[in-house]
Amino acid sequence: MFAEEKLIPVPFDVYRFDPAQGGEPRYQHYELKLAPHTPVLSGLLKIRDEVDPTLALRYSCRSAICGSCAMLVNSKSRLACRTPVGPEVAKHGRVVIDPMRNQPVLRDLVVDQRGFWSNYRRIEPRLLLDPSRPMPEGRPTQMTPAQVDRFRETPRCIACASCYSACPAVEADPEFPGPMALAKLYRFVVDPRDGAHDERLRKVQLSGLWLCLRCHLCTEACPKDVRPSERIRDLKELAVRSQGATERGSRHAVGFLENIAEAGQLNEMKLVRQTDGLVGTVGQLGQGLRLARKKPELLKKPRTIDGVEEVRKLYEALQKDEEVPL
Amino acid sequence: MRFAYYPGCVAQESGKELDLSTRYVCRALGIELVEFPNFSCCGSGFLDEANGLLNVALNARNLAIAERAGLDLLTICSTCQGMLTFANRRLERPEVKAKVDGALQPLGLAYSGRTKVTHLLRVLANEVGPDRLRSMVKRPLRGLKVAAFYGCHLLRPADELQSESAEEPHEFEDLIEALGATPVLYRGRVLCCGFPILFVKERTANRIAGRQIHDAKAHGADAMATPCPLCHISLDSFQNKAEREVGERLDMPVFHFPQLVGLALGASPEELGLPRHLVSTRSALEKLGSVAVPA
Amino acid sequence: MQRHDVVVVGAGLAGQRAALAAAQAGADVALVSKLHPLRSHSGAAQGGINAAVGAEDSVETHIYDTVKGSDYLGDQDAIEFFCQSAGPTVVEMEHFGTIFSRGEDGSLARRAFGGAGFPRTIYAADRTGLALLQAIYEHLGGVPVTTYEEWFLLSIVVRDGRVQGIVALDRRTGAVEGIAAKAVVIATGPAGRVYGRTTNAHSCTGDGIAAAYRAGAYLKDMEFVQFHPTALLESGILITEGARGEGGYLKNRLGERFMSKYAPHVLELASRDVVSRAIVTEVNAGNGFPGGYVTLELMHLGREKVESRLQEICDFSRSFAGIDPVTQPIPVMPAQHYMMGGVGTNIRGETNLRGLYAAGEAACVSIHGANRLGGNSLLETLVFGKQAGTAAAAYAKDAPDAAVTPADVDRETAALHALEDRKDGESPQRIRADLQQTMDSRVGIYRNPDDLHRALVEVRALQARWRAVRVEDRSSTYNIDLTDALEVGHLLDLAEVIAVGAIARTESRGAHTRVDFPKRDDQNWMRHTMARRTPEGPELSYAPVAYTRWEPKERVY
Repeated sequence: MFAEEKLIPVPFDVYRFDPAQGGEPRYQHYELKLAPHTPVLSGLLKIRDEVDPTLALRYSCRSAICGSCAMLVNSKSRLACRTPVGPEVAKHGRVVIDPMRNQPVLRDLVVDQRGFWSNYRRIEPRLLLDPSRPMPEGRPTQMTPAQVDRFRETPRCIACASCYSACPAVEADPEFPGPMALAKLYRFVVDPRDGAHDERLRKVQLSGLWLCLRCHLCTEACPKDVRPSERIRDLKELAVRSQGATERGSRHAVGFLENIAEAGQLNEMKLVRQTDGLVGTVGQLGQGLRLARKKPELLKKPRTIDGVEEVRKLYEALQKDEEVPL
Repeated sequence: MRFAYYPGCVAQESGKELDLSTRYVCRALGIELVEFPNFSCCGSGFLDEANGLLNVALNARNLAIAERAGLDLLTICSTCQGMLTFANRRLERPEVKAKVDGALQPLGLAYSGRTKVTHLLRVLANEVGPDRLRSMVKRPLRGLKVAAFYGCHLLRPADELQSESAEEPHEFEDLIEALGATPVLYRGRVLCCGFPILFVKERTANRIAGRQIHDAKAHGADAMATPCPLCHISLDSFQNKAEREVGERLDMPVFHFPQLVGLALGASPEELGLPRHLVSTRSALEKLGSVAVPA
Repeated sequence: MQRHDVVVVGAGLAGQRAALAAAQAGADVALVSKLHPLRSHSGAAQGGINAAVGAEDSVETHIYDTVKGSDYLGDQDAIEFFCQSAGPTVVEMEHFGTIFSRGEDGSLARRAFGGAGFPRTIYAADRTGLALLQAIYEHLGGVPVTTYEEWFLLSIVVRDGRVQGIVALDRRTGAVEGIAAKAVVIATGPAGRVYGRTTNAHSCTGDGIAAAYRAGAYLKDMEFVQFHPTALLESGILITEGARGEGGYLKNRLGERFMSKYAPHVLELASRDVVSRAIVTEVNAGNGFPGGYVTLELMHLGREKVESRLQEICDFSRSFAGIDPVTQPIPVMPAQHYMMGGVGTNIRGETNLRGLYAAGEAACVSIHGANRLGGNSLLETLVFGKQAGTAAAAYAKDAPDAAVTPADVDRETAALHALEDRKDGESPQRIRADLQQTMDSRVGIYRNPDDLHRALVEVRALQARWRAVRVEDRSSTYNIDLTDALEVGHLLDLAEVIAVGAIARTESRGAHTRVDFPKRDDQNWMRHTMARRTPEGPELSYAPVAYTRWEPKERVY
């Protein structure tokens, strides 16, 4: 059952760079022999211990709980401690190690996480109490099973920044606080002890919530199955329900909702008007006309689907319902 | 093969060329498309943000319509694929299903979860298969270097979509190869096109699209191809703006996936709606020599 | 030079709780840690935190269980205070935002733990440490505390009979700086990495304990090292006691629940020293699986329970051992897990040095005595972290100004340069590997005098080798080779104290099992070992155990 695994050759190509020493980033090659289930971290530590003690990286618990050793393993954001070398070698023939993305390299695999942490602090990650609802004296708060169920995923987060590294919105726009911060915010927004839900939802709409691309790269990168993209979706719905269609993002979402109720399918130009308002739409006019030359349908009212009244009935039945955790 | 055809909103309107080329390809491959004029929009990820339950219910209705006809559902849009599959997954939760059942019943519809949702690309990759496809190619796309652009919702979340691999897929490249073209591997192929925030913060969206196009180009691509009409909007319709954001001329023809297949199966550019693109596909077609390049 | 009233070194639960208490008492507080606070090893604690809050349970029973679990080496006055603080501490952490697991009625859920009379371990799935660490870090975010993230402690400065502050290395820039403080709280956790087979993180290198020892503080009861019964066979990764608390079985190759032979009443839920010895005894008797291990079975608990209450365990087993605990037994063996010993303190966290405080696993109050009960360590960090922080702030209020001089800083800078300037010498990693080999093989669960003496000889030889250690890395940024060398120096100091204490203690008590003295000897050994550093090595003396009400009895589970 636990037969000794045969050792396999594991070629490592590890990113090396020390800005203090100058020079260009390069890859350093190391040849190891390891059992296929050996975690990448163990391989890197073996390099440090036996071959090259100058390799810099962060690590601590080696059991996927401290969040230190996130890095790119063959371009994928991974915790080195829980990524076995075998499948990587099988697929890529080698193990290429790079520092995480979206954080400047301090040295080798060590990145500067100050931006990551300051984005996390931006969402005020602590209970904010409503003075009119103090904590019960001398005893814990009570929670309903439904309230407890809201904490299914987020407490698993170990702040390893794998999601932050994988996120194209972080890469493209400093306004976006990143998946981890938003998943963390969700954890506070659904916490019955917190007294600032609406305020939090109002603020986050102004600080990047609607820049999430829903690309789910964070959910794919997350080693703890926090599923940040899904938590961000939850936050958006809670924001719409709490604040209404106040921002471009929420206007677009609500516009979409109304659009479908009307015709059962999308009216692209109308949606632009709903999101941008009249002035914004005029700003888009040039591009709109440019597109319409090739795609004249944009100027026509789209067809209404058969049975649109069924769609409206669904709306009537469910639209007023409370939000259901998905 | 017979499917309930779910073209999605864009392919019925501004992205008609996608519908045109899909019909061409399915005809050629013997895939029968059954139409349902009562299908609604999938919500496109936006409705989901305003009201998740309603979004699930809307797609449960679509799925129930296909189920009533005893057909699985075929999408041609990564986002439709994602949203319909998402509904199937969420309806596995009893509390969600109970609510949705209650709303569907008065419509005389029932959702059981039997209807599978698949995308044309996955049908070609898995049901038809690259080998059979290769055997049907009339005009191999030899010499054309094509950068696949998957579209997020065809791949992720991988556990929900049961996609082959969210981070290192190869279905699309395998098909490109079967068509005689050369697939280009680049990081951007599995990344986002920026479309979801095109109406929220256009310049950021354009920048994201621009980076992916730049990446494809830097890896030598003559053209890109996508199985998602929303990606197509970002990459083609807004390429002029993407160019502004990345500060370079990109001139990258972007094919809808079935257009690429159609070309190899012998269709003319007009039959595939290529003239409807904002970025001319001429440079790519010229590489193929044998295709009559439209004026 | 930086200056604060109170500097807390170590930012795990004890350190953060101390910083919070000191800041709330009005002190200007700095928190210094070689890791980002959320990366601290407290976060790896899985099982839970004890508090006798159940209707059927009582503080009195918690005290008794802890005294008994300590094999009567715990100070009973401290244990009384500790257990009385448990309920309020858990409530406070809940109010800070900890997401605990809850029962159907919405109250805090409790599970059974080893050596406890009732299910009194409150938990957050199997990541209780992480839940508490997040909550306190988040709460501390709203309090004015200066944090020095990724600063490595080099020395504690003592002058004029008082603590003056610390000298530390900024790992990001390589700068060596003095931080003056009237009071210093050591909360740097354990030195589990003296062993190779350990559940402890790589960072658990006893830096603060060693610095305190070098500064003249007494280390207490260092020979008492807890071996957790269930660590993954190969990696030594911890499988929480909660797995047995939830009903898991330990089985040998013959399919027997062998704990019936060793603890007929409570079986798998005997205290950790008992279970670890039983496992080693079984394996030595040839009842282990080939390769030498036993198994932990959870299969009979059903998928739903295993996956919901032991999420991390499922994840660990699947990713680190390729085992699915829902359907397969988990191969386990004991591994070093916890140090009962540490910097000697009283109930207020005060050490023998004026202005020096300690808390958490780096400290020894002592409440765990010769063996700690599961669920008591998280509680200890919070109860005594608060004590130490409060006392440090009160002391700092009236203490004279402290100063770290340029000479203090230069001395440390020179020491670092000496390491880096050496042309040849051994690598710190090589020395560390040899140390761990020595401690694993000679200072383990069962101890015999020959091995202990040989271990001491080997450790001292390693200390001599360390004096010629060579740091190859020359970078000023994130130089782990350098910090490795410093850490190994700390580990060697502490390994020596462990070995010396273990040689001297000619009895078996709690986690310290001498094969040549198999019985507890209350006549001669019901006392704490106190080790003070001298140029010749640790000098031992002994201190009495505090009694209140509980007479020593034989421990039967």
